[in-house]
Amino acid sequence: MRGKLVTRDSSHVNGNMEIAYEGGVRVVALDIEHVTAGYAGHEVLRGMTMQVQQGEFVVLIGPNGCGKSTLLKTASGLLRPSAGCVRLFGRDVSGLKPGERARLLGVVPQKVESPMAYTVAEIVMNGRTGASMPWQGLKDEDYVIMERAMIYTNVLSLADRYFTELSGGEQQRVILAMVLAQEPQMIMLDESISHLDINHRYEVLRILRRMNREHGLTVVLVSHDLTLSSEIADRMILMHEGVVRASGLAHEVLCADILSRVYDCELLVQHDALTGTVNVSGVLDGTGPGGQVSRSVHVVAGGGTGIELYRRLGVYGFRVTTGVLNRMDSDAEAARALGIEAVLDLPFSAISTEAAAAASRLACQADVVVLAPVPFGSGNLVNLDILRSALQCGKEVWIADGVAERDYTEGKAAAAVAAELVVAGARLWSSAHELLLELRKSEK
Amino acid sequence: MIRGRRKDVEPTVLLGVTSVAGSRVALFLVLVPLLLAGSLLMGPSGIGLPDLDSPVGAAILNLRFSRMVMGMLVGSALSVSGVVFQAILRNPLAEPYVLGVSGGAGLGAAVAILFGAVAAVPLSLPVSAFISAVLTLVLVYWMASRGSGGAPSVYSLILSGVIVSAICSSVIMFLVSTASAEGLHNVIWWMLGNLQPVALEQRVLAAVLIGLGFMVTWMLAMRFNALTLGREMAHYQGMNADLVIFAGLLAATLMAATAVSIGGMIGFVGLIVPHVTRAMFGPDHRLLVPLSAVAGGVFLVLCDAFARTVFAPVEMPVGVITALVGGPFFLLILQRKMKHAWVA
Repeated sequence: MRGKLVTRDSSHVNGNMEIAYEGGVRVVALDIEHVTAGYAGHEVLRGMTMQVQQGEFVVLIGPNGCGKSTLLKTASGLLRPSAGCVRLFGRDVSGLKPGERARLLGVVPQKVESPMAYTVAEIVMNGRTGASMPWQGLKDEDYVIMERAMIYTNVLSLADRYFTELSGGEQQRVILAMVLAQEPQMIMLDESISHLDINHRYEVLRILRRMNREHGLTVVLVSHDLTLSSEIADRMILMHEGVVRASGLAHEVLCADILSRVYDCELLVQHDALTGTVNVSGVLDGTGPGGQVSRSVHVVAGGGTGIELYRRLGVYGFRVTTGVLNRMDSDAEAARALGIEAVLDLPFSAISTEAAAAASRLACQADVVVLAPVPFGSGNLVNLDILRSALQCGKEVWIADGVAERDYTEGKAAAAVAAELVVAGARLWSSAHELLLELRKSEK
Repeated sequence: MIRGRRKDVEPTVLLGVTSVAGSRVALFLVLVPLLLAGSLLMGPSGIGLPDLDSPVGAAILNLRFSRMVMGMLVGSALSVSGVVFQAILRNPLAEPYVLGVSGGAGLGAAVAILFGAVAAVPLSLPVSAFISAVLTLVLVYWMASRGSGGAPSVYSLILSGVIVSAICSSVIMFLVSTASAEGLHNVIWWMLGNLQPVALEQRVLAAVLIGLGFMVTWMLAMRFNALTLGREMAHYQGMNADLVIFAGLLAATLMAATAVSIGGMIGFVGLIVPHVTRAMFGPDHRLLVPLSAVAGGVFLVLCDAFARTVFAPVEMPVGVITALVGGPFFLLILQRKMKHAWVA
């Protein structure tokens, strides 16, 4: 039975190597302490500190180039840290004999290839390399261990086949058997399953989970599949720029706020109440989280000031309408491209009252009306009337702050109207991000 | 989970690790003494034993036997050396001379021959060839590791080897072009390679050095298997990859340099015998190392038997025969068996 950690991430308790957990004492399997490491003239890990407890199933995530692979190389002693200390089960990794190291830690790299035509059994045999001295051959015991590893990974029937003739999934299981034949206490996998199809991916994960649950094998899995990771991880560690950015249970690490910053893009995070998994997905087009159409927003824009709003509103699933725009205006082009319903008028001309009336009707059908940071001249002053009628219809109205600075009408007419609208109940916004947060808040 | 060993089933048999080529290995090992005996019977005057009662006949058989020993030594050394280079460099084009052994040894020998040391000092030819071959390896290894800060990468090793070899060849060409006709003949003859028996002490010393290199290589055989998966994977599997690479290169160069110092630069054996052995018996180095030692030795002994009999009384350089006779034969085998050796 696996106990839940009481202390997570807080380093040593009383300075020793053990951490208390319910019902016993658990050894720190991997202890990375202020490690700086990298390649000539280029540091990848920058004072990184993390711990993995014995028996844990940890998934390590992070964007490309954040140092995950470097961490694996450093943890296995392949790369010497320029500062800090790496300990495997309490022992400094640089002081371990190669054979001892192999019994503590097995690594499955992204891809394993041999130029020579080895059979599956011969490949698995390599796992026993570290256990035998050069002047000894393999003992019967070694063959039993190999056989056992091959049974676990279900490759025994492939023993006489050529390794290179196998499918990707079978090859990965053979490599896993090879590493398990080391009989390691801990195993680290470097994105080894990301190129497999979903069936084989789960097959490998099932093997790992079984080894973890039944034999207490500590597993550190580097993965790019955040959703899959959340299903299997006891704990997730998010790396970014050579340090740990977040660590904890899947729902603690996988939150849109942290992820969007680390991966530098918009991400949608959904919690599945039924399975407890966390679903992380990127944004492809205008379908919002869950795909259901939520409230509608009418955007008053022009001159390219609306594009960002169209895109973001679409991302979050708002139904967007816009107008009045002049044809050939960049906002008009964007609206056409995004399939947004728009009221259009003649290019480079003042907005007609008919168009303004049509736009007002659209605005009154929407739940919210937003004014983009559009500059005002005499030609588009009419657009403010749309906001006024929306307010009269009882709609929520948002005005981009700083109208006065963009007001090129005689006598600052636009600014005056805007001030009047604010008095009448319109609210001001300055950053699109905050506006979206407000709109989504009021949505709930 | 299988706790104990299953008594009724041998795990080795179950896994097919050694059973793959078992019958073939047995057949091969039966053939070897027959082939060696056959080569003893071959002489310029026809096939058969010389008259052993006469002192001349005894001397002839003794000479043939010495040449057979030379062939076994040189052939085994070159082909085991080739096995090691192909495994460490993970490259089917690798051969004993790839890291500049031939260039270095050739330069050493050319200097010794052309500057008269050979005539003046006994053993100066093999010793200078050997020393310059080992020095070349050191130079190549040092050059290759400078760029990569630590252990050299496979590619920098190959490139440095090729460059150093090219420089050595140029210097040899320069020396030869300025040499007298007799010196030129001696250098070329040496470089083509032949198995005329060297002094007994020299043979014993060569056998010791080659035996040493062979033992190191055989002990590392399992580690060579792991190394073909790449240095990184080998490290993860619990071996000091850099140390194994260094020891392997050193042992292989030692064997090749020793072979060159007593037999000259015999080509083809070190490149092709490992390939054919691998194609016949699989790439497991625990088998490949000893079997290619035997195969290389037998192959060279047979080639030498041809070299000294076919155009008798003129003796061909054995290096010519290896490629001329061995080439087509091995090509046939490789065509049918290549997929058992290297990945397509």
